[in-house]
Amino acid sequence: MMESLKKLFNSLANPSKRKKVLVIVSGLLITAGWTADFFWDSDLLFNTLMIGSALMAGSEIARRAWQGLQNWHTNIELLVTIAATGGLAIGVYWEAAAVTFLFLLGGWLEARTMSKTRDTLRELINMAPDTAIVVEDGDRTEIPARQVQKGMLVLVKPGSKIPVDGIVESGGTTVDESAITGEPIPAKKQPQSEVYAGTINQNGSIQVRATKAGGDTTLAKIIRRVEEAQEEKAPTQRFIERFASWYTPGIVGLSIVSYLFTWNLELALTLLVIGCPGALVISTPISVITGIGNAAKKGILIKGGEYLENAGKVTAIALDKTGTLTTGKPTVSEIIHFSKEAALAGVDPEEEFQKVHTVSLSDQNNQSLPSEGEELLYWASVAESVSEHPLAEAILAEEQSGRIPEPDQFESHTGQGIEAALGDDHIFVGKTEFMKQKGVSISEGINNEIQNLTKKGRTVVLVARNNELLGAIGIADQMRSEAPKMISRLHENGIERIAILTGDAQATAEAIAEEAGITEVHAGILPEDKNDIILEMQQQGYQVAMIGDGINDAPALASADIGIAMGAAGTDVAIETADIALMSDELMNIPEALRMSSKTLSNIRQNVVIALVTVAALLTGVFTGSVHMASGMLVHELSVMAVILNGMRLRWI
Amino acid sequence: MKTTLRSDELSCPTCVDNIESSLNQTEGVSEAAVHFNTGRIEVEHDPETVSGDKLVEIVGQSGYEARISQF
Repeated sequence: MMESLKKLFNSLANPSKRKKVLVIVSGLLITAGWTADFFWDSDLLFNTLMIGSALMAGSEIARRAWQGLQNWHTNIELLVTIAATGGLAIGVYWEAAAVTFLFLLGGWLEARTMSKTRDTLRELINMAPDTAIVVEDGDRTEIPARQVQKGMLVLVKPGSKIPVDGIVESGGTTVDESAITGEPIPAKKQPQSEVYAGTINQNGSIQVRATKAGGDTTLAKIIRRVEEAQEEKAPTQRFIERFASWYTPGIVGLSIVSYLFTWNLELALTLLVIGCPGALVISTPISVITGIGNAAKKGILIKGGEYLENAGKVTAIALDKTGTLTTGKPTVSEIIHFSKEAALAGVDPEEEFQKVHTVSLSDQNNQSLPSEGEELLYWASVAESVSEHPLAEAILAEEQSGRIPEPDQFESHTGQGIEAALGDDHIFVGKTEFMKQKGVSISEGINNEIQNLTKKGRTVVLVARNNELLGAIGIADQMRSEAPKMISRLHENGIERIAILTGDAQATAEAIAEEAGITEVHAGILPEDKNDIILEMQQQGYQVAMIGDGINDAPALASADIGIAMGAAGTDVAIETADIALMSDELMNIPEALRMSSKTLSNIRQNVVIALVTVAALLTGVFTGSVHMASGMLVHELSVMAVILNGMRLRWI
Repeated sequence: MKTTLRSDELSCPTCVDNIESSLNQTEGVSEAAVHFNTGRIEVEHDPETVSGDKLVEIVGQSGYEARISQF
């Protein structure tokens, strides 16, 4: 007997069990009371059971109120304790029992439901495995994952979670990266591929050279970001909290004043019962937590409630072109070269008639280029081999010989072109204007071809060696296939204005814009111009979202009402700075992010309305005499549950 | 030393004040912050005077179950 009592007592130290036991016991006592009243019409039994119930449930509430008082802190529990004690004193036992029971039951149900809304975060934290298998000189040792150092080699077996961020050193596999990117289709990995902690290795065994571990991994950054976002207060929440901080003292004051005027103690106590601003203060946070958590699951990181509210109001969108609408990985698509037969046969090289050829690489089907084309690529590659321009990569990727000497001298003219010297050869690679500046003559024949390619949306670079034009290279940055679908979805979702902002040439930008279905193009502009255009759109009354890759669009992303960065999985800067970071390159996540934001925004509004209507109804009810202590507490707890459940709907949108 | 506790049960933003004040009044705790939305409880404390388990117990007395978390 003593043993089982001790056990019961011990289990009561656990707050969840204690609450559960008290709720059940006081609930049973209330039921017993009504049963006694119904069958035996016994007032004595009814009152005794109700007092018992009120004391049971009230003990926990009074204990918390006392704990608060000891810390010089008044709380809602104190109000409920005063109301219930007062109720017992004036003999409304059923009301006192109902108030305390409902308060505990509501708190218990709310805690259970709220814990569901925190699922996403818990799941994310659980994604990271605790240990890693480190391979050193052929020996395998298992160590805690956060102790892995940069440069260590980690073995990841099929079916297990990857413990660190790193580069695949050997082996090949597919990896489920949905935790990081939200992308449901597994990604193929081979040596040199990047992998992230928290993703799941599916079918192959791989060895990974660690670059980041523990708190530095992308997953840890996502978790921190989601947490900070959920904790940041939305403007509505700040407003509501200001209101709530006046509400409770106001109601207490009202209770005292109304008692002094009416000497009606029950009315005064009822006012204390409805003094808890429960539904009000929880209305915004519940939507924000659920909305942000659900978005994070899809690889959409929203920085906080404020951004969620702003993103929900977006009416105009400015898009970067390269890397956003396009894949951002330019490839050589055409080569324009001269044929030299004329020169060989010609008598006077000055008078020769040069024939212009345009070779489309996609039609070429792996056939080798004519020698003039090869030569053109060779010289361009020599000059570009030390350049860091994105186009350089495309040209170097096309050069087949693989033996490119580095130039002796190199100079880059930003935005124009480059010049390089190798031995006696002097090379220019750049735009038409750059060639003209350098005194290279451009014949009409090739100029026409260049115009043609530009109209098709190609970026064209000219190549000259020793002041003689060798030809030109057309470089295409392919549009992402889902771009037109995304644009039409944005229009469907009520976005009124969509514009491309790009540093590229007008013709290139227009070609992409037409394909994607965008009518407004601002091309050939500098990063600070992008900023000005966004400010101008804002002055015209638009709520503007800027979408870019997060690095070179930083100023524009910052001045837009909402800055959205794409493909943020690998770039910490984007995760840290953008208001919304899309972990993957999936374009459809842009309309999705805006849609979820506006859904969350309207959810917040619904909740605020529910809470305010409840408060107004309760106050009216109390003063017209239709709401008493028990019904006041019931309505109050129901409104809290209504708000929580409404917020939880966001999990399924 | 900083210890992070997590509780999934916080259901009313006003209970944040209850937990915060009882932690802050505990000897050995220099600073406690309770984040309602995520249920994260950050406590700066002297582990010699008050252990992590003791912190869990104090939060329990305010009516909420918590556990120690790595981050």
